[in-house]
Amino acid sequence: MATDTSHIRNFCIVAHIDHGKSTLADRLLELTHTVEDRAMRAQYLDKMDLERERGITIKAQAVRLLHEGYELNLIDTPGHVDFTYEVSRSLAACEGAVLLVDAAQGLEAQTLANYHLARDAGLTIVPVLNKIDLPAAEPDRRRDELAKLLDADPGEILAVSAKTGEGVDELLRAVVERVPAPGGDADRPVRALIFDSAFDPYRGVITYLRVKDGTLPSYAKIKMFATRVVSDAEETGVMAPEATPVDALGPGEVGYLVTGLKDVHQAKVGDTITLAGKLGATDPLPGYREPKPMVWSGLFPAEGGDYAELREALDKLKLSDSALVYEPEVSQALGFGFRVGFLGLLHMDIVRERLEREFGLELISTAPNVEFHVFKDDETTIVHNPAEMPAGANYDKVEEPVVFATVITPSDHLGAVLDLCQERRGEMVDMTYITPERVEVHYVLPLAEIVFDFFDQLKSRTRGYASLDYEPWGYQESELVRVDVLLHGDPVDAFSSVIHRDKAYAYGRQMTERLKELIPRQLFDVAVQASIGSRIIARETVKAKRKDVLAKCYGGDITRKRKLLETQKKGKERLRRIGRVDVPQEAFIAALRVDGSGSRKR
Amino acid sequence: MSVAPTSGPVASSMPDTSEAAGIYVHIPFCLTRCGYCDFNAYAGLDGLKPRYLRAVLTEASLAAPSWDGVRVASVFVGGGTPTTMEPADLKALLAHLRDRFAVDDDAEVTIEANPDTVDESAFEQLVSAGYHRVSLGAQSFDLAVLERLERVHSPSSVRTAVAAARRAGMRNLNLDLIYGVDGESVESWERSLREAVALAPDHVSAYALTIEPATPLGRQVASGARPAPDPDAQAEMFELACGVLRDAGYHHYEVSNWAKPGFECRHNLGYWQRRPYVGLGAGAHSYRDTTRWWNARPPETYLARVAAGELPIAGSETLEPGDAYLEEVFLKLRILEGVPSAWFEPASYERFVDAGLLVDDLGTLVPTERGMLLLNELVLGLTAD
Repeated sequence: MATDTSHIRNFCIVAHIDHGKSTLADRLLELTHTVEDRAMRAQYLDKMDLERERGITIKAQAVRLLHEGYELNLIDTPGHVDFTYEVSRSLAACEGAVLLVDAAQGLEAQTLANYHLARDAGLTIVPVLNKIDLPAAEPDRRRDELAKLLDADPGEILAVSAKTGEGVDELLRAVVERVPAPGGDADRPVRALIFDSAFDPYRGVITYLRVKDGTLPSYAKIKMFATRVVSDAEETGVMAPEATPVDALGPGEVGYLVTGLKDVHQAKVGDTITLAGKLGATDPLPGYREPKPMVWSGLFPAEGGDYAELREALDKLKLSDSALVYEPEVSQALGFGFRVGFLGLLHMDIVRERLEREFGLELISTAPNVEFHVFKDDETTIVHNPAEMPAGANYDKVEEPVVFATVITPSDHLGAVLDLCQERRGEMVDMTYITPERVEVHYVLPLAEIVFDFFDQLKSRTRGYASLDYEPWGYQESELVRVDVLLHGDPVDAFSSVIHRDKAYAYGRQMTERLKELIPRQLFDVAVQASIGSRIIARETVKAKRKDVLAKCYGGDITRKRKLLETQKKGKERLRRIGRVDVPQEAFIAALRVDGSGSRKR
Repeated sequence: MSVAPTSGPVASSMPDTSEAAGIYVHIPFCLTRCGYCDFNAYAGLDGLKPRYLRAVLTEASLAAPSWDGVRVASVFVGGGTPTTMEPADLKALLAHLRDRFAVDDDAEVTIEANPDTVDESAFEQLVSAGYHRVSLGAQSFDLAVLERLERVHSPSSVRTAVAAARRAGMRNLNLDLIYGVDGESVESWERSLREAVALAPDHVSAYALTIEPATPLGRQVASGARPAPDPDAQAEMFELACGVLRDAGYHHYEVSNWAKPGFECRHNLGYWQRRPYVGLGAGAHSYRDTTRWWNARPPETYLARVAAGELPIAGSETLEPGDAYLEEVFLKLRILEGVPSAWFEPASYERFVDAGLLVDDLGTLVPTERGMLLLNELVLGLTAD
C-alpha cells in the first residue's frame, strides 16, 4: 500500500561542491539504517566512477529513508551550473530543501543561486551549517551571515558535522517537523514528474519520478506528454538505496519506473508521465523545457580512420544522455567528425572524457564556441561553427547569448572580480554586501567570455575564494568578427574563431605566436597569419629547416640510423597536411586548448 | 655449398669474391674520456691491453675461416685511441690479419691517432709496420673550443703531429674536425678550417657536433646546464666548410668527408656502398649480405667470451628487403653515388629537385650540398608510402 501523504517528506540537499553533501547523505543512510553498517562505504550514492573522481554528482537520484514512521525521500540534485534545468526539476519534486553550508567557507554563489531556485519553487528551506568540527569553522559568524542572507531567524539554523554525525539527528527531526507533507489527490488521473532518467543496458530507460496525483501501478500502459510516446511500463520501485520493486507509487511518493522504452530521448527530464488512454490526465504538469545546448565544439578522431567508431560511440552515449546533440561535420584540416552541442563546459568535459575512456578514442576537439544568430537582409542564420560565420562583416548584425552571472567574493578581491568582468565585456547589474567581508555581484556577461577560461581566471585572481553561477539571459547584439588562421596562405578551418572586434587583434597575435612554437620547421618558410576577411591582422614566420642529417654514419651506426629514420617516418605519418604544411596532432591539440586548459571543476 | 645467411654470421660462409671486404678493429682505450663521445671507449683500463691484444688476435683466427676467399681491400684500426697501444703490438696485429685474411698487398690501412699519443718515432714504426694512412683527431684549432670538447691536446700539438707523420713517411693523412659546440663562432670555425687546410692534409672529416644522450655533455644539455647546438649555426658552418674546402681543392664526397682526388677513404666508402665488413674487438659491428651482427660491448665481457674460445657475438639482425632498401637509399644518398630516380614516383622527388636539394643527373638522384644538410627529409620524402 502507498504511504499516507501525511507521513511522507520529500527533500533535497542544496550545497556547494566540497561542502559535505555526500558525507551528510552517508550519515542519513546510516542513522536511518537504510544501509547496514557492514555494507556502508563512503559517498555511497555517487555511483558512477566518473562522479566519484570528479567529486560531483552528475545525475540526480532519489533514496528512500524510513525514520520513525516517516518515509523521507532524499532527492539528490546535480551541483553544477550546466545542469540548472535538471536542478529545477529535482526541486519541483520536493517540498523542502536542506541548505548545507560549510561553516569555514560560508555560502557560495552556486548555492545561493540554487537557494533562490528552491525558494522560488516554494520549498521550505532548512538552513544547516556543516563541518562545525573543523578548527577553521566559524559557526557564529556564518550563522549571522546566513540568517541575514536568507532573512531567517538565526535560531532556525542548525549546526552539524556530517563527518562525525553530530547534530544529524536534530536535522532529521527538523526535516520531519518543518518540511510540509506533499499534497496530491489519489483519485485524480496519474501525473508524475520525471526529474531524471537513465539508460540501463538490460532494462532500457529507467525514469526517476515524483507522483503528483493518482497512483502509478506496475505494468501500466503509460504515456509521455512531451514526446507523446506510449509504452508498457514494467516495474515501479524505490531506491532503498538499491532498487526495490513496489506494487505502486501513490501520490506524494518518489521512486523509479522501468518504462519499457529503449531511448532516453523518449523520456525527458521535466516531462509528465500519465496513463495511456481514457484513464490518462488531459494536461501535463507545468515547467517542461527541451534541453538546449549552450556550448558547441567540433570533435574529430585523432586517427582519421576512427570516424565510424566515434559515430558509434556518440550514438551509444546519446542513449544515456538526453542532452547530447551532434551533427556530422567535415573539416579540411581535421577530416570527418562531429559538431557536438553541450549543456556547458562541464558537460563537454564529461562527454569527451567518456568518449576517450569508455570507448578508447583519441580525440581532437576544437575550441568551444557558443551559438550565434546572424541576421542578413530578412534571414536569420543560426551558426554553431565559427567556420560557417560569414567572413568579413558580411551581415546586418550578429547576436550572441548572454548570461546573468552571480559572483560571490570576499570584499578584498572585489576589485579583481570587477576588473575581470569588465575585461570580459560584462555589464554590471547590481552589487550587495552580504556582510562587510563578502560581496554578491551580478553581471550580464556574454556566454562566449565565460566559455573562454573565465572561471579559471576568476579563481586565480581571487586565490580561489570567489564563486560563480550563471543562467541563460537571452541574446544581445554584439560587434563580432570571424578571425581565421592561415598557414602558408591556406586557411585552417579548425582554428577559425568568432571574437569581439576589440579583441580580435590580441587573439590573432596569441594564436600566431602559439602556432609558431607548435608547427615544426618545414623545408620552406611558413607564414602563420591571422585575418579578418581579407585583412591580415597578425603574422609570424616559421623559418625553413636547414639541417636534418646525422653527421656520422659508419659501421655500427647504420642499424641505429635506420631505426631512427623508421621512427621519424612513423611520426611523419601522423602529420596532417594543410596545403603544403605538415602539422602534428599535438599542435592542433595544444593550439585549440582553452587557456589554462581549465573548465574542469567549478 | 649454398647456406643461406639467415641464421647468423657463421652460416654466411658462402664466399662472395665479387665484393672486397673491409676489416675494422676496435681499440677501446683512451687517455681520458671526452664529454661528447659515446663511442665504446674507456679511460683507466690500460691494464687490460695485453689480454685485449691477444683476444683480438684470437677472434681474428676464429672469424677468418668464414671469410675464406673474400678479398680484403682495407683495414681500419679505430677506437678509442689505437695509438695508446704499443707500436710493436699494432705491428703484430696487422701481421696477424694479413696472415689470416686475404688482405690485398695494396690495401688501404688506416690507424686513428690522438695528436698527443704519437711522436715521429711512433709514426716511423707504424709506417714500417704497414700503416700508411693516419686519421688524426684534431677537432679544432681554437683552444677554447677544444676545452669545451674536453680534448686534452692543444692546437700546436696537431701541427707537431702532422709534421712528424709526414717526416715519418705517412703518405695519406686525415684530419678530423668537429664544429658547432656551444660558444664556437662562425669566425672561429673558419680559422680552424683555414689552419687545417694550411697543414695540407689529404683528407678532411668535418662533423657537426651531435649531442648523444648517454654522455656527460648530453646530460648537461638535458638539464639545461649547457645549450644544445644551434642547428642553423651548424648549417652555416657546414656551408662554410663546403666553400673553404672546395676552394682548397678538396672533393666533397660524403656528407662529412672531403678528400684530395684519389684520397677518398676506401674503407669508409665500403660502409656507404654496402660492401661487407668484419668487425673485430669489443662492440665492433660486422656486415655481410643480409646480416649485420655485433660483438659484446664491455671489454671484460668481450675478453671472457673470446677466452672461452667462441666468437663474442652479442646480437645480430637480418635485413628484410624493406630494411635493405631504406639503407641503400640513405647510405647512397650520403655519397655522390646517389640512387636511381626510377625507384621513386616523380612526384616524390621533383619537389626536392625544384627546391635545389636533389639533382637529377641522367636518371640518378644526387643530393646537392644543401640537400646533404636535409638528408633525413630527402630519405623520408622519397621512401614515404
